[in-house]
Amino acid sequence: MSATTAGAARRPRWSHLLGQNAGLALAAGLLALSIVVYCTIYYLAQRRFPGGFELTTTLNNTMPLVLAGVAQSIVVLTRGIDLSVGGVIDLTNGLAAISLGDSAAGMLAGSLLVLAVGALCGLLNGVLIAYGRLQPIIVTLATLSIYQGIAIRVLPEPGGEVPAAYTAVLANTRGPVSLVYLLLIVAFWACFRRTALGVGLYAVGNDASAAQANGVAVRRTQIAAYVLSGVFAATAGLFMAATSTAGDATTGNGYTLRSIVAVVLGGVNLFGGRGSPVGAVFGALVSAMIVNILFFSQIDPLYQSFFEGLFLVIAVLLTGGISRFMRRGA
Amino acid sequence: MAHSRGVTALVSRDQRRILFAVAAAILLFVIGGLVRPGFASLNSIGAILSIACFVGLVAAGQTFVILIGGVDLSVPWTLNGAAILMMSSAASSNARLPWALLLTLGVGALVGLCNGVGIAVFGVPAVVMTLAMNGVLEGLTLGLSGGLTCPSCAAYAPPLLQAAARGTLLGIPAILFLWLAVIVVASFVLSWTGFGRSAYAIGNNARASFLAGVNVTRTTVILYVLSGLFASLAGIMLLGFGSQASLGLGDPYLFQSIAAVVIGGVYIAGGRGHYVGAVAGAITLVTLVSVLMALNMPEYGRSITYGVIILALLLLYGREADES
Amino acid sequence: MTPRDDRAASPHPPDPGRPRADAPDGKATVVDCSGLSKSFGGVRALDDASLSASLGEVHALVGENGAGKSTLIKALGGRLRPDAGTIRVNGNPVTLAAPPDAHRLGIWTVFQELTLLPWLSVAENLLIRREPRGRMGLIDRRRTERRAEELLAGFGIAHIDPLALIEDLSLAARQIVEIVRAISHDPEVLLLDEPTSSLVEREVVWLFGQIRRLRGHGTCVIFTSHRWNEIRDIADRITVFRGGRHVGTFREIDQSDAVVLMTGRRVEALYPTLPKLPAPLPALEARAVAGRGVGGVSFTLHAGEVLGVGGLAGHGHRELFLLLFGAQRMTAGTLLAHGQTVRLHSPRDAMRRGVGLALVPEDRKTEGLLLAMSIRDNLTLSILRRITRFGVLRKPRERRLAQDMAARLRVRMPGLSAPVGALSGGNQQKVLIGRWLLAEPRVLLLYDVTRGVDVATKHELYELVMQLAASGHAILLYSSDAEELAHLSHRVLVMREGRIAAEMAAPGITAEAIVAAAVRDTAESEALIKVAVP
Repeated sequence: MSATTAGAARRPRWSHLLGQNAGLALAAGLLALSIVVYCTIYYLAQRRFPGGFELTTTLNNTMPLVLAGVAQSIVVLTRGIDLSVGGVIDLTNGLAAISLGDSAAGMLAGSLLVLAVGALCGLLNGVLIAYGRLQPIIVTLATLSIYQGIAIRVLPEPGGEVPAAYTAVLANTRGPVSLVYLLLIVAFWACFRRTALGVGLYAVGNDASAAQANGVAVRRTQIAAYVLSGVFAATAGLFMAATSTAGDATTGNGYTLRSIVAVVLGGVNLFGGRGSPVGAVFGALVSAMIVNILFFSQIDPLYQSFFEGLFLVIAVLLTGGISRFMRRGA
Repeated sequence: MAHSRGVTALVSRDQRRILFAVAAAILLFVIGGLVRPGFASLNSIGAILSIACFVGLVAAGQTFVILIGGVDLSVPWTLNGAAILMMSSAASSNARLPWALLLTLGVGALVGLCNGVGIAVFGVPAVVMTLAMNGVLEGLTLGLSGGLTCPSCAAYAPPLLQAAARGTLLGIPAILFLWLAVIVVASFVLSWTGFGRSAYAIGNNARASFLAGVNVTRTTVILYVLSGLFASLAGIMLLGFGSQASLGLGDPYLFQSIAAVVIGGVYIAGGRGHYVGAVAGAITLVTLVSVLMALNMPEYGRSITYGVIILALLLLYGREADES
Repeated sequence: MTPRDDRAASPHPPDPGRPRADAPDGKATVVDCSGLSKSFGGVRALDDASLSASLGEVHALVGENGAGKSTLIKALGGRLRPDAGTIRVNGNPVTLAAPPDAHRLGIWTVFQELTLLPWLSVAENLLIRREPRGRMGLIDRRRTERRAEELLAGFGIAHIDPLALIEDLSLAARQIVEIVRAISHDPEVLLLDEPTSSLVEREVVWLFGQIRRLRGHGTCVIFTSHRWNEIRDIADRITVFRGGRHVGTFREIDQSDAVVLMTGRRVEALYPTLPKLPAPLPALEARAVAGRGVGGVSFTLHAGEVLGVGGLAGHGHRELFLLLFGAQRMTAGTLLAHGQTVRLHSPRDAMRRGVGLALVPEDRKTEGLLLAMSIRDNLTLSILRRITRFGVLRKPRERRLAQDMAARLRVRMPGLSAPVGALSGGNQQKVLIGRWLLAEPRVLLLYDVTRGVDVATKHELYELVMQLAASGHAILLYSSDAEELAHLSHRVLVMREGRIAAEMAAPGITAEAIVAAAVRDTAESEALIKVAVP
């Protein structure tokens, strides 16, 4: 056992951190690899490397998935799952399109309203799961339906209007401002991870009964996880509105399953207790890279899902094997 | 465990859940009949049951895999792919029907085999494996059929198939006979075979089953093969029902099949429940949608009510046992 | 073996705390339980039980498996709520709904099932809910690690890396982490449930040193143990439990008197006579078998023999049994069954007619039984082939076989259709054994079959084991109770660190000898704890 070898020198700190964050490290590696492949293929197709425009567009278009992935990963960390992510995005997207005022105060108020709605959606999920003792998969399946319904009621037809200024802030087309948002997400998690609630999420995902014995308020932590998921999903809805400059109450439907893909590619363990939402960020970006790679390698777009599915399985198999290897000690 | 309520209560709790689902379905029919006269007429019931049959077919496969604690998210495109494959290989001809049937069901079984091997042999979580498979099938189906623009893609289903899906036999929709056969076979397999017993054992405790000599890997693979088979069968029958295949045919069936299974009293974590419950669940769900449509409820209202009712049913009898 | 005071070797731990009002002379009662009752299904784990313990005392709680010791500790520690009775702390009645309630009262527990979080590090586990904070009130990870390092060093623990994941630690190391965590909270009452079950001598010395220090400090320490010399050396008072009730509390008590109180019988009447060994006929032979957790084990098990396997928890017994049964991969060595070399890739291989192995696993609840399924389904799980024809179940035959086996083993149950989870521990164990007897094995691998089983059932199981040996079965028996092992085995192999450390033959096997061979210090323990041992 490397942890208590008699007389041997201790494993260096970086080796430990790498082993414990194997999933995150692999996701980062995966992202790096996919960027390299993308740049190569892009060069072969366009005779130049991708530039600021490509970066900006890709990032702007991927922000909703990034946020959906973060939302999902927070819940998955507690050994749950949130199938209603798509529904919350539908609802908040539609809501954003009709409630964002033109003034700065109006935009702020609209945004806060949307975030509050997202939190409420998450609250419902969390309460049903924590106090109702119902399984997450079926609860969020039902609430997905509910939120999708409300979304259509709020915005029956695609429309509404998103102020240009809003788009300029969230989905600026002139420069990769989204990088700032990515950094904000990472910063948020770095802080949250270091709060009692953050530690509690991991504890609950590891072993809820042991967590309780350690003084973690299990039910409140679970509810918090779903509320956070709702807030991040709502943020995704806002970004979506900013990118498309209008609202559409069905635009979020594919995001549920895609957020799970982002989580898996990000090295977050589906059984809870291991991984990081930052991994989900990487996972979402990898997803985007794959789409771009497929596009520029001129593969028939109809086959896109095939390659995405194939890639997902291979990625899971490989990263699973490698992470087991890494934990044994570098 | 909840055996403080008495031992016999626990044993028939599963049966109670099935009864609940059946009661819910009957109640919905009554409400529908009150809301719109003629709703509860035989014709109307027949129509509703026919639609429920498709959910029921997919739910059969879903029941099998959920019983061992898994799930099959590849149902949408297994179904859709099967419908398109069937359509293009049968090419509107009754003569080619048997071969096309064999081919399509074979492909469905193959899909299930891949799922099962990935999950049981390579340890890929069921959610991931079946989700990936769904994508693979979507890509293959769209790609190979050119987005449904291939020459053979405009074919109609063979007349025999259409008759089987839409026709009646002895005044009852023919497809219900198929469903009945599936119900009998599935129930028999679950309650009266060693294989079914192994499935329940694995769902209860895979580790204990392994140590008791149950072949967990083989049973798991077979169950996913069955799921693939049933999803393809549903696709084939849907083709017959609608005469032509379209894209997105299978999408609604994923969540509906899972909901039907859970409402029918099958534990999502596995080990408990029966296909008969899923049948009741499927009927309840489809009846619910029909009642909501009879009430002229707009789409959003249907969506919301659908979700609320599922939650209500779950809260009534879907709770996990308290751990103490 | 005498645990020695190691105060010289371990300096003051980082949290000396404040001296107690009544320490060290006055022994004020700090914990007083009376009338505690707790039932699980039809089983009464605690039956009007009582316990009274004082500050500045080391109080041992002894009793057979199933006597209620663990249940009482769980109740005091807040892990479960009794159905009836009162718990008084410092004179005030309290309700302990969850461990944090107990923590608030200064009661800290090391339960038998450790409450460590496997995918978090040692440091994170040690300091959970009290991590050092830095800027903006956020947890300072580096300071947490350093604090954990200091904590461990202050307790004299040298080689547990605070950054290591709990998942990667040995069982003994985990137990030590859990103990350090509990003590580092400066408890008023420290509860330890079987703390020494996986600790070798040096680690036990360390633990007892900590316990003595706490006692001097005024803490009340309540612990459960099976090892009589440990109890004798350190306990101020001993409370005996039987059948969920308090039988007596003593300052001193003879071991044989204690056994009478614990079991209701004299020692001599506890165990049946070993059947005579027939002529040697090898049933199972292991030649240098190795796998994860097991390194080079060789032995020969004969038909009609009971070969005991002893040693501390976490030293490879579990892995050995799984290996022999084909449930774990064998990386080296050969296995012979009835003289023929066999390669076992799964339990199914091991069950094959030509091999005929059966394993009754460690934890019947998580590895053995399907708790929600019926007794009948559980009994027939391993003989599905026999009760099906062309795959179809022959239910009347199944019912008959199950009924006969349940009757033969005298399983007390409401009926064959009752879920096996509703039975008492002893009856559950009978069902598990019954499942394997139905499979008609030739070699039985029995892993701690009497754990958590009441006294009466235990005797029945002993008789059963003897009968099986007498009728020619070969039995490999692991028990965490050295006394039991000594009396039930023709030979005993003591395992340490995955290898066989000693072999003993009857007559003349004693529990003390088994324990002595088991607790000799290992390389890990020497690195783990810087304690001078004479």
